[in-house]
Amino acid sequence: MKGYRDIVGDGGSQIVAQVVAARQSMTRALAGVRHLVAVASGKGGVGKSTVTIGLARALVAAGQRVAILDCDLNGPTQAQMAGVRDQPWVPGEEGLELPRSADGLGVLSLGSVLGRETALRFDAVSQGDEQVWRGTRELTVLGQLLAAVRWGELDVLLLDLPPGAERTLQVAQLLGPRAAFVLVTVPSAVAREVVARSLDALTGNGHGAAPSGRVVGYVENMAGYWCRDCGAVRPLFPAAEAPLHATSTVPLLASIPFDPALAAACDGGSPPAVDTPAGEALRAAARRLLATLESSP
Amino acid sequence: MKFLCIACDEPMKLEESTPPADGAGFTATFRCPACGQGVAMLTNPWETEVVGSLGVKLANGRESRCPMGSMIATSRPAAEEPAGVAWTAGALARLDRIPEMVRPMAREGIERYAKNAGRGVVDEALLEEARAAFAS
Repeated sequence: MKGYRDIVGDGGSQIVAQVVAARQSMTRALAGVRHLVAVASGKGGVGKSTVTIGLARALVAAGQRVAILDCDLNGPTQAQMAGVRDQPWVPGEEGLELPRSADGLGVLSLGSVLGRETALRFDAVSQGDEQVWRGTRELTVLGQLLAAVRWGELDVLLLDLPPGAERTLQVAQLLGPRAAFVLVTVPSAVAREVVARSLDALTGNGHGAAPSGRVVGYVENMAGYWCRDCGAVRPLFPAAEAPLHATSTVPLLASIPFDPALAAACDGGSPPAVDTPAGEALRAAARRLLATLESSP
Repeated sequence: MKFLCIACDEPMKLEESTPPADGAGFTATFRCPACGQGVAMLTNPWETEVVGSLGVKLANGRESRCPMGSMIATSRPAAEEPAGVAWTAGALARLDRIPEMVRPMAREGIERYAKNAGRGVVDEALLEEARAAFAS
């Protein structure tokens, strides 16, 4: 009796062919993007979105053509932080036009089309059993968004990933080998452990697994609290264990102190002040990231 | 998934599929091209969603449902919903060139823009106007 591999095709459903075609559409849509950079962590609440938009604005200020895709479909924040919350998604001649912030940053985020306090819901015949299909559907939506937008010519497309080490790995496999990863952590032992697990998942270190993602650096966020009155940076967390770069080859791009003004600027959708320790750290991170990307094969 | 006619050792061909309509799964029928023997594959809701979550069209050109359809229906408070906005064929053609998944979202936002601008028709000129209005 014939086996699975003896039969050419799938009898006419073309499901595998459609999945392959969808991947190809995504590749075509991203053809003009020089660097694809996913900002991830694995840990929630470490400031991935803040770091993403901070890096993006620093890169724009350095003359780079930059866009962000908010990959957190359930908790989209980039539309608010970039000030494109009320911009409609406009169908152009060659795909969806990219909404732009006042400083020229392209931002596609479900936050532009979801109500402010509305959860993401999917139509389904098996409501109540979302554990079976929801993760796959969300990844499919991400792929479709990547394929649908007219990204044009970009130097850097930043992807703001949702929390979860497993999600980081899944997105890495969706994006393929051209994607670079920047990990975000905070100086706490708990966060460092989770981020180290994401790093392990992406690189397959020591487990014989093929690497799924190329990690080009990490950012230590909330590295102290910057006091505007006295100018000192005081610790926010107890003395941490060894930083990530002490036990891995991943370089530290920057340590960013917590600054309430930076948080307020993000909430208000406006660019943060640049002459602060946080602003300087973000610019340094952007410079180092760009240098790493440009020197990569 | 492939289906094999045991008697003929021949792969069966997809004959017809029916999208989910009864709140359960979809049905696909396969037939052996050699002997004509047929089988029907009846999927349960989980299996249906697993296939649908890949964003593929079902056989016979029938599209799976928009995976975000229900999200669009609840994305904004009902009081904000625009009504009575017509689309020209040219504008609809542009809308149709983007994937089904993002179509309702783009449509809703454009209709809101048109209504706020006091326009009752979405045409290509209005789409260009909206694009230019939000370009930096």
